[in-house]
Amino acid sequence: MTAPLFGLLIVDRDPLTLRDLPGLVQVWLMDAGGFAMLGLAVYLLYALRIPKEQANSSKDRAGVSGLMLGAAALAILCYAVLGFLMLTRKGGEQVAEYVSDPGAYRKYVPPALSLKPQSLALTLGGLFAVIGIGAPFVGSLLKLRSRRVFAIAKLGFKEAVRNRVFLVFLFFLVPFLFPANWFIQIKPEDELRTMIGFSSLVTNLLLTLPAALLAALSIPNDIKNQNIYTIVTKPVERFELILGRFVGYAGLMTVALFGMTTLGWLFISFGTTIDEKAKEETFKARVPLYGQLSYQSRRGLIEGINAGREFDYRKYIGGDPATSQRAVWNFDAVPSTLSNRPADLPVPLEFTFDIFRMTKGEENKGVDLEIRATSWQAAQQPPADPKDGVWRWTDPAKEQAYKKDATELVRKLPGVTAEVAESNPGSVLSRAKPGTPAWAVVEKLAETHGYYEATGKEIFDYHPDSVPVPAGLFRFAAQGPGTGVEGKPMPRLTVAVKCITRGQMLGMAEPDLFLLEGDRSFTENYFKAAVGLWCRVVLIIGLAVCCSTYLAGIISFLAALLLFAGGYASDHLTDMASGKSYVGGPFKAMSQLLKAEQSTAQTDPNSAITGAVEGLDKGAAWFFRRVINMVPDVYSYSWTNHLSEGFNVPAGALVMNVVVLFGYLLPWFILGYYLIRSREVAA
Amino acid sequence: MAADTVVETRALTKVYRDFWGRKKKTALNALDLTIHRGEVFGLLGPNGSGKTTTIKLLLGLLFPTSGDATVFGEPAAKVEKNEKIGYLPEESYLYRFLNAEETLDFYGRLFDMPAAVRRKRAGELIEMVGLGQDKKRILREYSKGMRQRIGLAQALINDPELIILDEPTSGLDPLGTAWMKSLIRDLQKQGKTVLMCSHRLDDVQDVCQRIAILYGGDLQELGAVNKLVEDQKRLEVRATGVALTDDLKRDLTAVVERHGGKLEAFGHPTTTLEDLFLRIVEESKARPGRRYLPPAEAVAAR
Repeated sequence: MTAPLFGLLIVDRDPLTLRDLPGLVQVWLMDAGGFAMLGLAVYLLYALRIPKEQANSSKDRAGVSGLMLGAAALAILCYAVLGFLMLTRKGGEQVAEYVSDPGAYRKYVPPALSLKPQSLALTLGGLFAVIGIGAPFVGSLLKLRSRRVFAIAKLGFKEAVRNRVFLVFLFFLVPFLFPANWFIQIKPEDELRTMIGFSSLVTNLLLTLPAALLAALSIPNDIKNQNIYTIVTKPVERFELILGRFVGYAGLMTVALFGMTTLGWLFISFGTTIDEKAKEETFKARVPLYGQLSYQSRRGLIEGINAGREFDYRKYIGGDPATSQRAVWNFDAVPSTLSNRPADLPVPLEFTFDIFRMTKGEENKGVDLEIRATSWQAAQQPPADPKDGVWRWTDPAKEQAYKKDATELVRKLPGVTAEVAESNPGSVLSRAKPGTPAWAVVEKLAETHGYYEATGKEIFDYHPDSVPVPAGLFRFAAQGPGTGVEGKPMPRLTVAVKCITRGQMLGMAEPDLFLLEGDRSFTENYFKAAVGLWCRVVLIIGLAVCCSTYLAGIISFLAALLLFAGGYASDHLTDMASGKSYVGGPFKAMSQLLKAEQSTAQTDPNSAITGAVEGLDKGAAWFFRRVINMVPDVYSYSWTNHLSEGFNVPAGALVMNVVVLFGYLLPWFILGYYLIRSREVAA
Repeated sequence: MAADTVVETRALTKVYRDFWGRKKKTALNALDLTIHRGEVFGLLGPNGSGKTTTIKLLLGLLFPTSGDATVFGEPAAKVEKNEKIGYLPEESYLYRFLNAEETLDFYGRLFDMPAAVRRKRAGELIEMVGLGQDKKRILREYSKGMRQRIGLAQALINDPELIILDEPTSGLDPLGTAWMKSLIRDLQKQGKTVLMCSHRLDDVQDVCQRIAILYGGDLQELGAVNKLVEDQKRLEVRATGVALTDDLKRDLTAVVERHGGKLEAFGHPTTTLEDLFLRIVEESKARPGRRYLPPAEAVAAR
């Protein structure tokens, strides 16, 4: 059995999982701790310079506790240790990574927990700084009363409703009124994808812009209209004002988002006629199991070939019957959904590859692949002979045992001659279809030897395809310790792909091949994808409310919008911060604009102007490195591709979305707390 | 601080500065003030004299440049003190998209009052301020006087011990004004302390026991209303059953007795508070360095 039709999911990075949490918390402490230390230093300098004879109320507003001073001292100590370690070049991370092509695509790897002395000093310094600056904030949190927070929240909600803000959200319906005119698609099967993408875009715009505007104007308007006089003269903690406004608008937008999502789902599911092909491709939520991709040949691990495509997301292997090059996906674990699968239910292995043709191929003919799925017990290795394109078992005895069993079992199949069974049993097994007697042999061999091969599979450029993998292979792979020589852990399962067709190149990225664990409901997936959108809306509300504690309404709106939009350019900013942008930094770009030069034009390395521009760009990169983490990671909240391509949105990733969201907002809330506490609302 | 002291300021000063920290204006200069429990205290002064700044400093809406302000013995910046304070701003700065019931419910929630208590208290206050018929109308539809009434109701939602009223009779018609003054007297009878500032001097004279007059941020006069309005330079004779002629004025006591009348009073005549206020403002303009100095015995008692 194979999956009927497929989707293609391009993901620049894997969704975060709970396993990434320790590393993320450490990096958060390092980054947020740096800002916290800066804030703590400014606060302490301000508080300690208040003369003793100054008003008691001034001292109350800028109180300094023993905890703050102690935490600041410990933080300074940790940073001093870090400075010493850096100067003596001890206890640092090994970062000497050789990269042959600096501009090449590199997959995002979430930060891992580091116990190196430098990392620990930076983490502990950050932790103490956060404790120091956060102590009064936590003290204020303890005084919060839910009744007051929800009163302010309800006020914001009511204000928006009575001022008819909800009417804006009705624009959401417009795209659905004329779907045929709005959703321009090239292929009928893309209809649903386009509709989901467009409705997601409209929802995003209709929610984030009003949310930012409402949140940014709320506190400044209260101050301008002096409504705030009647609030802060009650026993209301200033932070309750921030939290109340935040909760109120977040609640309002949650209701609006839920309404829009439900309407969108109703329209997509029942309200319009959708091409059957499109429904087959998108009306599902595949649960994929991704492996880790590497490129291997007889020379061992290789980088993969750069075929010269502009977007080098994919790397290529050469096609030839005698090539030893393989794209190898390793699966570290076998989930129980696969290992407990009944024998008559093979697991679809889905893939979509890019074919880069070196020679003109035959018309209407694709390229042929050899796909080999093996368990850890049946580990394979490349040949030593350059003319040999066949990978063999690392344990020849196991290979012999497999061949013997295969020959015996294939011989018993109806219509198979003894000669074929003896000389090439694989040719019979490769063509076996689920539900046939030959497939029963495939199942049995997979369950006893952990080996399955599909040879001669013809595929077409960017055309999703699949092969069934016998369920027995997963049962076998799940058994035993999963270790190789000297007890080293091995991937439980490996899938190796070879391009057999001579003169063609096969391109792939990690998510281009996956095992299909199962299908879930499209409806559930539709609402899960909305959680990402919710995170974005909550993010911009939090930013706007915090900015508005100090800035005027419209300036807060623009500041929040700028930070939010900066999130869409985070990759570019990261490139600039790391100095890896192949077109240079902002000053080089400006210089090229002024001189009407192309970005690839050579510059004179001896020129004083070039030196000055490069120096300024280094300064800009240093600045970007300091502030890069102030920009929110907006992309990580987008699940539209998963939804429109029919892939399940992982629940764990949604949890991580929420964790990361509040991890990002927490420093902003602390900043907002200090700003509103120090603000004279009647000035 | 004495046990019955509700509000106390010591050398309370507020200087407004520009973005660069340069001094723009001294709104309040070294104000020393004590307000006792159960009294109705009036703050008087022309526009810009510092009376609203004083109130905002006491409420924590502004922060002092120097000096101290305490309310119920707590620094003015402390939020906790607001539990016992009710505040009616000069304009009724309420949310105009709410109706009267919702308004009082909202402010009741800010005092963390349970729902049943909020509802009961809101009902009583709405009836007290005479808005029973209009409690479902949103405040946008209210007249200025009605907004002032609901503003007063929100100031009383927590049954406060100290009520701060900024221009309480502003926008009220004569009947409303009389009602407000009667309410202030009732609050005093209940043992509440009232701090009010007003431009309507007759209102202040009617309800306040003590007043402070501010001009240019300086305290110019402080004391009991009936003492301050006394004219120490002249004598007043009150008599009945006799016409006030020039002969009578020349030989007052003897003439009254000789003409068979009865002498009822012999003391200082009073002027109006308005006259006093205008005189002090004029004097302050003429003598820029003028400021109130407490009596020698009061200084010695500290």
